[in-house]
Amino acid sequence: MTSKFYKRLFLLPGLLLLIAIIIFPLLFTIRVSMANWNVSHSGLDWAGGANWARMFHDVNFWSSLFRLFYFSFITTTLQYILGFTAAMYAWKGFASRRFFRVLWLVPLMTTPSVMAIVWRSIFREDIGAANGLLSKIGIDPIAWSTQIFPATVTITIAEVWQWTPFMFLILLAGLLSLPKEQFLSAEIDGATPWRTFWSITFPLMAPISIGAIIIRLIEASKIFDSIFNLTSAGPGNSTETPAYYLYTRGLREFQISYGATMGLMYLILAILTLTILGQIFARVSKPRGI
Amino acid sequence: MKKILKYSFIFIWSTFVLVPLSWALVTSFKPPAAVNNGATFIPWLQFQPTLDGWKDITGISGYANLFPPLINSATVTFFSTLISLTFGCMAAYGLSRFSYGWKNYKNPDIIFFFISQRIMPPAVLAVPFFILLKTLHLLDTKLGLVLVLTSGLMPIVVWLLVDFFNQLPKEIDEMAMLEGCNPFEAFVRTILPLARPGLTVAGMFAIIFGWNDLFFALVLTFTNVQTLPVAVVALNGTVTPFWTLSASAIFSILPLVGLAFVVERFLSKGGFAGAVR
Amino acid sequence: MKGSTVNLDLRSVSVDTETEVILKDISFKFEPGKIYVLIGRTTSGKTSLMRTIAGLIEPTDGEIHLGEERLDEVPIWDRGIAMVYQQFINYPHRTVLNNVEFPLLRAGVSKADAKAQALAMLEKVGLSEFKDRKPSQLSGGQQQRVAIARALVRNTRVILLDEPLMNLDYKLREQLREEFRTLFKGTADSVTIYATTEPSEALFLGDELLVMHEGRVIQHGKPDFVFENPSSIDVAQIVNDPPMTILDAEIKDGKVNIGNLITFPTPAHLKSEKDGKYKIGTRASEVILGGSESNSEEGTVSLSEVSGSETLLYVKLNVGEVVLQLEGIHDYQIGQAVTISLAPNRIFLFNMDGTLCAAPGN
Repeated sequence: MTSKFYKRLFLLPGLLLLIAIIIFPLLFTIRVSMANWNVSHSGLDWAGGANWARMFHDVNFWSSLFRLFYFSFITTTLQYILGFTAAMYAWKGFASRRFFRVLWLVPLMTTPSVMAIVWRSIFREDIGAANGLLSKIGIDPIAWSTQIFPATVTITIAEVWQWTPFMFLILLAGLLSLPKEQFLSAEIDGATPWRTFWSITFPLMAPISIGAIIIRLIEASKIFDSIFNLTSAGPGNSTETPAYYLYTRGLREFQISYGATMGLMYLILAILTLTILGQIFARVSKPRGI
Repeated sequence: MKKILKYSFIFIWSTFVLVPLSWALVTSFKPPAAVNNGATFIPWLQFQPTLDGWKDITGISGYANLFPPLINSATVTFFSTLISLTFGCMAAYGLSRFSYGWKNYKNPDIIFFFISQRIMPPAVLAVPFFILLKTLHLLDTKLGLVLVLTSGLMPIVVWLLVDFFNQLPKEIDEMAMLEGCNPFEAFVRTILPLARPGLTVAGMFAIIFGWNDLFFALVLTFTNVQTLPVAVVALNGTVTPFWTLSASAIFSILPLVGLAFVVERFLSKGGFAGAVR
Repeated sequence: MKGSTVNLDLRSVSVDTETEVILKDISFKFEPGKIYVLIGRTTSGKTSLMRTIAGLIEPTDGEIHLGEERLDEVPIWDRGIAMVYQQFINYPHRTVLNNVEFPLLRAGVSKADAKAQALAMLEKVGLSEFKDRKPSQLSGGQQQRVAIARALVRNTRVILLDEPLMNLDYKLREQLREEFRTLFKGTADSVTIYATTEPSEALFLGDELLVMHEGRVIQHGKPDFVFENPSSIDVAQIVNDPPMTILDAEIKDGKVNIGNLITFPTPAHLKSEKDGKYKIGTRASEVILGGSESNSEEGTVSLSEVSGSETLLYVKLNVGEVVLQLEGIHDYQIGQAVTISLAPNRIFLFNMDGTLCAAPGN
């Protein structure tokens, strides 16, 4: 039937283009993870599961995964809370909100790798702005890059600055498209803003929130630019995430096979996590009576 | 009390947003002494502003010229956005209107497949992409980079637009078909005009993610197709002074900041989700 | 292709999904120049039947012919069928005039002709002055008029109207219903099919009535004939609004006995029926309030609602619940005691399997 032709016409070009671009890298990664391709030996020989066995005993890999839980979950949560708050204020309520909408969107438009350079200049211990300002109010300079906690803080700050506008934008767009009727009836019932938020706004925003959070988690898990420029995973490897560890082993030390192995493991774990999260979210956000 | 909370949030958040931007802006006009002798903040009061940093990156002083990378970035971003938007919006429309299936895999799984393309860290894909482009003789070409970027941008476009098309009543395209349009004409003539806000948002995200990509551009291009982020990071790798770096940062950020105004206009006109009710 | 004998012919059309039957074995020949009204409850298959004719649903079985053409093998966009939806569907980004022009332009009519014809059609539906507005700037009734203008302007061989008045308020409905009769009478070359749940619309507009129930056409005929002679309890329920009250009864020794509580001598039109158990039906407008004879019973009001210029009273009796329609607006309290009596000469008699046994006639 002709309608079948059109049905395919819509999906297939995009899907096939994507598959065409991604299929070789994926198959290559799978194959190379079973080879022994490194700096002194390049080529697709057969190493079986040696890389996989090595990975399961690689403490650095697993601890970087646990660290990722901190970075992706904490930063995403912060971004969601701050982004939602900002979206609520920019949604309605104060006069010059259009100006602030633009201002609060700007970080999203900036290049993360470039901003990471700016952040590094801010957190330079000797001549950076952060310590400069702190000394003005009488606080001793902080060793931002050589202590674990401050180093973690700097990365969190950079990530929150960069990506909160992403949440802000999607949530604001969602808020602006909400049906007005329910709010009117809530107003007539005399519900407090706080109750209106929890019983109407928040549930209505659940689907949009989930979509935004999932995408942010995916992106946050690849966190690289800020770590690369700000701390280089230091001090020690205390701010090392899988994306950075993969980069070090795979590209800097040119252990291609081992990097590929970890990449695949990471892909499997990420898909598992996202599937489970998707299930949980779907259950939590089942429409409830309002 | 509520007001205090509200305005202090607005104030603190705005300040936080402005801090790195204004720091970079101010630093880009500093003379060496104002940087190297500890942090300074206020031009004219604490230091005499100079244009040295800006001369360094615009080719005037002969140190570096960021204009060619700017043009590279614009070209690559434009084409990868165009391709991913074209194919992405068709796929999204298909996924919103028809039900596809292959064995047990249905529409949601296909959408997840699109999104999952963004999971893999670039560091893993860099080597296979390098080999792929080398085999195809596309290394260090705009086309090669455009193709690789497209694979990362299309998932975002599809993810955003499926939801958007779902909100447009199906009856409108049915109507167009009853009135003599084949499904593709119905899509082009009635759905696309209605989906303009959605296309704008999707296009905007594609531009942002395309423009800001560092990793693939770093690995897959060298001298011919140096993009702006790569050029800035390259400056960072050498002994470039902070004022020049700051100027380059501001330089590479500016083109997209204009986009924030466009986006806001769409928001305020109610041009996002729910344009049709 | 145009001519007065282009019939729309459905031959054993069935539609089913994996889990349910949507349309079951529908065969019917529609002739041009008549208005066919499909009446049925919300999920009876009216919309599915129309969508199948339009091509939006593919039949799992059967054939659809339009004149010489095998319609079910033609893609939607070549079928030349117009449809008006229950929701007011127009192209939101085009002006009213452009909306009406669009189908003409798609059909290859020249720009100037399309404009002239569209303007004439807008004149007909009374929207000339709004031609440059966007549909969203019109009221619901006006939007639906645009949709109807779009459907009529092409002069298609088949026009489908799927509950077009459903989403409008009561007054507008009556007004548009009036206009429809004149609008559609002018389309002698077209088969017009109109779906509704409202018996009054069916009686007013229909040349022919098709009663649909659970995916089948269970009765068809002239509307007033079907109304007076419903072939089964299901039909009687569907073509009466509020639905007909059905009670268990027994005919014995020249008397009709309803649950030993209401009895009356067998009326003339039931005299020839054998003794035995039956179901009787009575229309809400023919139930009588008051009375003290043996054909009455006292009950309590379980619900009272005003619908237009009438009041509906649901009364709980020991023999069952009776719906009663009163002219004018009355105030009844829930739980209030009222006496109800039946009009013996207006009783419909059904066999226990639900088929019609005898109708009161006119």
